Amino acid sequence: MESVNPVLWETKVLQSKATEDFFRNGVHLPLFTLQLPHSLHQTLQSSTASLLIPAGKTLPTFTTAELGTSNSSANFTFPGYPVHVPAGVTLQTASGYLYKVNVPIMVTQTSGRASILQHPFQQVFQQLGQPSIIQTSIPQLNPWCLQATTEKSQRMETVLQQPVVLRSGTVDRKRLENATGDTLLHPGSQHKIMSEALLSQPENSQYISLSGVVVPPQLSQMDSNVEPVLSVSASMTQNLHGGPLSTGPQGAQHQHTPDVQLRVLKNRMCGCDSVKQPRNTEEPSSLPISKKDSNSQMDLSLQVTDDDINEIIQIDGTGDTASNDEIGSTRDVDENKFLGITDAGDLKVLEEASSISNEDSMANSSDNEDPQVDLVEEDPLNSGDDVSEQDVPDLFDTDNVIVCQYDKIHRSKNKWKFYLKDGIMCFGGRDYVFAKAVGDAEW
Amino acid sequence: MDADSDVALDILITNVVCVFRTRCHLNLRKIALEGANVIYKRDVGKVLMKLRKPRITATIWSSGKIICTGATSEEEAKFGARRLARSLQKLGFQVIFTDFKVVNVLAVCNMPFEIRLPEFTKNNRPHASYEPELHPAVCYRIKSLRATLQIFSTGSITVTGPNVKAVAAAVEQVYPFVFESRKEIL
Repeated sequence: MESVNPVLWETKVLQSKATEDFFRNGVHLPLFTLQLPHSLHQTLQSSTASLLIPAGKTLPTFTTAELGTSNSSANFTFPGYPVHVPAGVTLQTASGYLYKVNVPIMVTQTSGRASILQHPFQQVFQQLGQPSIIQTSIPQLNPWCLQATTEKSQRMETVLQQPVVLRSGTVDRKRLENATGDTLLHPGSQHKIMSEALLSQPENSQYISLSGVVVPPQLSQMDSNVEPVLSVSASMTQNLHGGPLSTGPQGAQHQHTPDVQLRVLKNRMCGCDSVKQPRNTEEPSSLPISKKDSNSQMDLSLQVTDDDINEIIQIDGTGDTASNDEIGSTRDVDENKFLGITDAGDLKVLEEASSISNEDSMANSSDNEDPQVDLVEEDPLNSGDDVSEQDVPDLFDTDNVIVCQYDKIHRSKNKWKFYLKDGIMCFGGRDYVFAKAVGDAEW
Repeated sequence: MDADSDVALDILITNVVCVFRTRCHLNLRKIALEGANVIYKRDVGKVLMKLRKPRITATIWSSGKIICTGATSEEEAKFGARRLARSLQKLGFQVIFTDFKVVNVLAVCNMPFEIRLPEFTKNNRPHASYEPELHPAVCYRIKSLRATLQIFSTGSITVTGPNVKAVAAAVEQVYPFVFESRKEIL
């Protein structure tokens, strides 16, 4: 049996070139939920192929009240791309990130692995001046932002792992030129803080660190105040938001590892609550605290993908009952057996369900027969001297692997017929690709 | 001459069906992923596991009930069932081999003569039923043994019963009647 290596065939699938891109990139679900303002609700139309959001929203000035409140009149998910998102729409991903779209965007799904990600991490700090100044600078950056958006559309998890290249050295300079005050850029979800910061602390020097691309397919964009791309990275800035930061501390932060900034970014993106922390603290020392939060958050989110893949709970069998008369006596034993099952993880749900059904019979049978009536418990099975190991467990330990999809698998007695399609074969050390394959086998 | 039972009639057991319970819930998905030689029928909620050594096919339900078919003797059926339970145990389930019961035995037997079915049916009214338009064999039921025989005009008889003994007894019981209605070659 395969008990020696229970998931050997799974590792083979993972290693195969057919699934090279699929598993490595983490979450494969291009699902996201759009939370749209009320005004758009009735006009929404969704199709499986693409989603077109009618453009009718002006650039709103969000306040703290607006954010996080009942924008969600329309929540829907759709599986496909491309998505055309007009300006002024708040998007929320399935994992809970909020992004505010300020310019019209067309989101398309790329192959999943952008070469951009391979580039070394770059930090760009930008000084953000007064809101007015910032707004004027928007048009300049828009084209760049849009570009970055489409190119960088990736899944969030991959983003976290691979810092994005900030392509604009030129942009940096521009920013620096424009900035006069010290305000911090925030990611779209944090725009309220942003506005506060802008309003209250025009003196703050604002830096935009593009530590990581958190551009989900929806693209996250900054508030009206900041370019969309900047919002992506603004994670770092979030921390800085708290107080007037001199270039000194910021410079120090500058030195932080990309990972830290990524985490911070994640933290910022995640929820409003976390945002409040740095906001209150006026010192760079708030950074470590918030980072810790983000660390845990990031870890959680990253693990989600693995769990999604592996954790498929069995839903059948919960209502199964014994059909013979000895249900009563056996229930006692069943209860114990349930608890003793090694595969506790998967069966916890079932255990609860079945224990409910067992309750009644338990009460009744407790007086009745003893578990011994269970009969001839038959000698323990590990008198499995006769029970041989059967097939060699290394049945799957071969280098000739086919990873494909199937049209039909047919069996008559011990004669098998395979009608396969779209596959990659590794045979004799060489790789072959096929669109159709037919096979015969005898078991 | 006449009712010479057991004229060295070889009764061949072709199939023995048995059931047993594992007294523990089985995670079908785990069996399907990690077990060898399994077919997962998710739509009906069972896993088929085929064994080579005693050639048997076992249908496994998540409740722990297992039906084992394809064995050629009762001994073999039990042997195969135990082996199956052992393999499940190796997958990690707390399996206990209980409630083993042979449910059905199928055997074939060949008479050295041909049989006149309409005549046979007339002589064995309550037990025999014959509908040539539906099925070419006479269906002869023995209630006491809970056995059913299908008698063909070629002399071939198929017997199904709860165990091997009942099957053998059924053949012995039927033989004289069949012998009466045989087609004698002149």
